[in-house]
Amino acid sequence: MKKKLVVLFAIVLLLFVCLIYRLYSITRDNGAQYKKQVLAQQKYDSVTIPFRRGSILDTNGNILATSEKVYTVILDSVALNADEEAIEPTFAALRSEFGIDTAKVRDYFEQNKESSRYYILSKKLPYEKIQNFIALQNEEGSLIKGIWFEEEYQRLYPGNSLACDVIGFTTGDDVGSYGLEEYYNDVLSGTPGREYGFMNEEGTLERTTISAEDGNSIVTTIDANLQAMVEKYLKKFNDEYANNFHSGNGANNLGCIIMNVNTGEVLAMASYPNFNLNDTRNKESLIGMQLLDDKGDKVVDEENGNRVYITEDNVNTIEGDALYQNYNALWKNFCISDAYEPGSVSKPLTVASAIECGAIKGNESYNCQGMLEVGGHEIKCHNTYGDGILTVAEGIERSCNVCMMYVAQAEGINNFTKFQHIFNMGLKTNIDLAGEARTASLVYTAENMRSSELATCSFGQGYNCTMIQMIAAFSSLINGGYYYEPHLVKKVINSSGATVENIEPRLLKQTISRDTSDMIISMCNQVVTGEHGTGKTARPAGYIIGGKTGTAETLPRKNNEYVVSFMGYAPVDDPQIAIYVVVDRPNVRYQDDAKYATRIVRNILTEALPYLGIFMTEELSDKERTELEELKIEITTPAKSEDGSDTEGDAEGTDGAGDENSVTEEQTPPANSEIWKTFAIDPETGYAVDPNTGAYIDPDTGATIGGTFSDEGEEPTSGNETVTEITYDENGSPSQQ
Amino acid sequence: MADRFTLKKLSTSRFFDSTLLITIALLVIFGLVVLYSVSSYDGSVSFNDSAYYFKKQAVNTVFGLGVMFAVSLVPYHFWERTSGLAYIFAMALLFLIIPFGFEANGAKRWIRFMGTSIQPAEIAKLAIIICLAHLVCRLGNAITTWKGIFIALGASMPMVIAIYGITRNLSSAIIVFGIALIMCFVVSPDYKKFILMGVFLIAVCALAVYVVVQNKDSALGYRGERILAWLDPNAYASGKGFQTLQALYAIGSGGIFGKGIGQSMQKLGFLPEAQNDMIFSIICEELGFFGAICVILLFLLLLWRCLIITYNAPDLYGALLIVGFMAHIAIQVILNIAVVTNTIPNTGISLPFISYGGSSVVSLLFEVGLVFSVQRGITVRDA
Repeated sequence: MKKKLVVLFAIVLLLFVCLIYRLYSITRDNGAQYKKQVLAQQKYDSVTIPFRRGSILDTNGNILATSEKVYTVILDSVALNADEEAIEPTFAALRSEFGIDTAKVRDYFEQNKESSRYYILSKKLPYEKIQNFIALQNEEGSLIKGIWFEEEYQRLYPGNSLACDVIGFTTGDDVGSYGLEEYYNDVLSGTPGREYGFMNEEGTLERTTISAEDGNSIVTTIDANLQAMVEKYLKKFNDEYANNFHSGNGANNLGCIIMNVNTGEVLAMASYPNFNLNDTRNKESLIGMQLLDDKGDKVVDEENGNRVYITEDNVNTIEGDALYQNYNALWKNFCISDAYEPGSVSKPLTVASAIECGAIKGNESYNCQGMLEVGGHEIKCHNTYGDGILTVAEGIERSCNVCMMYVAQAEGINNFTKFQHIFNMGLKTNIDLAGEARTASLVYTAENMRSSELATCSFGQGYNCTMIQMIAAFSSLINGGYYYEPHLVKKVINSSGATVENIEPRLLKQTISRDTSDMIISMCNQVVTGEHGTGKTARPAGYIIGGKTGTAETLPRKNNEYVVSFMGYAPVDDPQIAIYVVVDRPNVRYQDDAKYATRIVRNILTEALPYLGIFMTEELSDKERTELEELKIEITTPAKSEDGSDTEGDAEGTDGAGDENSVTEEQTPPANSEIWKTFAIDPETGYAVDPNTGAYIDPDTGATIGGTFSDEGEEPTSGNETVTEITYDENGSPSQQ
Repeated sequence: MADRFTLKKLSTSRFFDSTLLITIALLVIFGLVVLYSVSSYDGSVSFNDSAYYFKKQAVNTVFGLGVMFAVSLVPYHFWERTSGLAYIFAMALLFLIIPFGFEANGAKRWIRFMGTSIQPAEIAKLAIIICLAHLVCRLGNAITTWKGIFIALGASMPMVIAIYGITRNLSSAIIVFGIALIMCFVVSPDYKKFILMGVFLIAVCALAVYVVVQNKDSALGYRGERILAWLDPNAYASGKGFQTLQALYAIGSGGIFGKGIGQSMQKLGFLPEAQNDMIFSIICEELGFFGAICVILLFLLLLWRCLIITYNAPDLYGALLIVGFMAHIAIQVILNIAVVTNTIPNTGISLPFISYGGSSVVSLLFEVGLVFSVQRGITVRDA
């Protein structure tokens, strides 16, 4: 046995020697190669850690846009394959937790189990959807292998289409396009973090992590509730008039801005058509819009010359550049990107400038005979029969063109263009939104304006402006003359909620004096409350508002196409908010009726004024009371007086608030030379018919339906339909057209 | 020749081998240091505590040293009487895995008892030494015959089959069988039979390798992937050859004197099971070829001292206990180093006293206790 022990020990010794030789040969033959191999497989690569883009909040802190962490599920086939027993439990867990079609994954796994380490199983899952799986994965003795998660952020818009044009959206790489997302891109973006490895001085690997810095959030002046009201009634208008006269939306464009006149803060800004921010490339959103070709021009039907609208039938045929032209038309913000001739809404600007420069006192009277010959052109009033002798205030109330032409003549070209500049016409408002149009080439200068252009510009034809320009200028007329830069963001806060920057209202200039401002307010109040006021239908139940209607003929003239609008403000004694609604070519036969805009204003203000905490001052008729109760609006009107004289007291109010029919019924006998009031009413349309010409006449104002101010359809030199629009190509980078 | 190994030096009647004790102490302490170095990364990643593995192993080692001391005080003939019981106990633990076992690293090899996990296969290695020593003594001269050998080996077979059948742990089964075989070999004066058996085993292995290589692309090839990976680890670099290849990278990159203790890169998540079966490759990476030879020499010294004690053992039973321990150590060290150097196909064998594993270190120290117990029985002849 002892001998055997020695033999055994000898064998063991021999084996040890063999192994030592083996170790030696590995070190000698492969040492250098393996040394490199070990260094090569260290992770020097840097991994980018995504930052969280800041949120966009409304004025009350409601979320308009936010970024949520989402997870991508990755399959590491090699890791899974390393443990055969784990394969089935892992697939079972994937099926039950994520509902993944494991048959497909299994095929992939079987083919690539030796090589694939990165296969995306599912994308953009919120944490709630993966937490069960993670719990299963972390159980002791868990047989789930080779599955890991990659983090990223996804932009979410809880309101879907709410304030879509204002907010804008982000493209895949978290870069903002349009609206606030683009304008405030640098503020909202943070700094991505990085994880990387490096060799230190001692030749050992160190890994360092620089964590990501999240972006700042912005608090806007938008009130989500107000915004929703506005959008509701724009949508309602569209639903009412869509496919009415021709196919397509209720109007080419609808726009509405509500602004705090004392700060320039935009409380609501909306346009229609709108789109879902969470699904920006949904072709269905395009339905109803005018079809554009790949150059951005409107497509015209070759057979009948009509414009072509996007329908369910042709929407899927739009492709390539044309598709992006149409998307751009959808994504742009009508309120800031589109310039148009404002029409009569600009009349208070004309009067204000004339008073301010001393050309008129404001108590002058002018005789309207239906038209005025200026510079060899006969420029017509809406009411071609003539309004007779009108004061300036009445000229505003009735929206008389002739009256305005006289005012502008008194003022002269130099003063007129100077004040256009003061009112910021032709200049950008510098509102904090991406894509504001440049209108410098769309207004006249003192050098190129002639007397006929002065005449048409006095009532808002011949030059172009944007909605935001008009409401900012108009706000200065009614707030004592202070021109505030319109803005949407009032505060920047960091990711932990601390304030980084407060953005105060920016007073840019004094446009007119307080006295002038007071005069303009009293004139504009008459537009709604006056007997002949053109804006009576804008008055919401329980309130008195002021404002100005606008009906502008588009180019080419005599095409029976109009942009109708209404600029309103409330309360009348101390204006706090201004509202501006523009209906660009309503889908009706006779477009030149400002009621398409005033009714929208009335609907919005009926809900918005009580919401804004402005108390009712007027008594309510039974009809109005029912209307408010149906809308569940708290009635804050002063208690109705018990004596019988109350009907007299609110007669004026009911008049103004009444719809077309009530106005027709309560026609007063012709006073001055209101000859059109003797015309017979066409029962079908509700318009009066001129027995001489057969033209339809608005029985209230005497305006010819489908009429034109221009005698020969001559187009003003600078007024053409091409406005500066910022468009975006496929990659989302802006280009000027 | 035999006299050269007889202890003569000491005149006292009580003999104590301090070299053996120092060797054991060195191995245990070195093992803990290396384990801490190797496992700190995995510990901090998986358990948020870089000393996680070290602490558990240190506790088990202290417990094992207590067991060793206690066993060394018990006269070793006591175990002769309990050998039947030990066999049944070890088998029972193995079968307990079926209902109560829990899985770790994808294998079901552990049972939990009073908050600690026990690996019954390690207990089985201890039991087979105690039992076979007794059985071989009882067989007497019959061990020289084929019949005797088959009885001795046959006695180990239920345990071998149970280990492989229940835990799918081929390496532990091989070790238990190997211990039995070596104990038979040492007792029997015959060579021919063992040479025949050795040739037969080698032939079987060669045949298995041949069959697998021939059926490379079939299902058989898939099962034999470890063998294919052994022959060409680079071809299976992302699968079965990954661990082997990473172990070779570690050994090769260590050079002659290594990168220094604690400086391994391969332990940073690249080498799977670095603190278990692959710990020797990290020793090579950190301490180099030189450090590896030192470790091997420590084991050789341990075996050498055991050889001396066996020579002087008072009786056959005592001698066989130590032979079993030597076989256990020798087989595990040789197979472990052979695996990490890709000399044989990859199979999970831990390095005694150094690899992470509580049951292993406790049963090994139990066996060391037996060695000391036998050594206490040595009466020293007068000088």
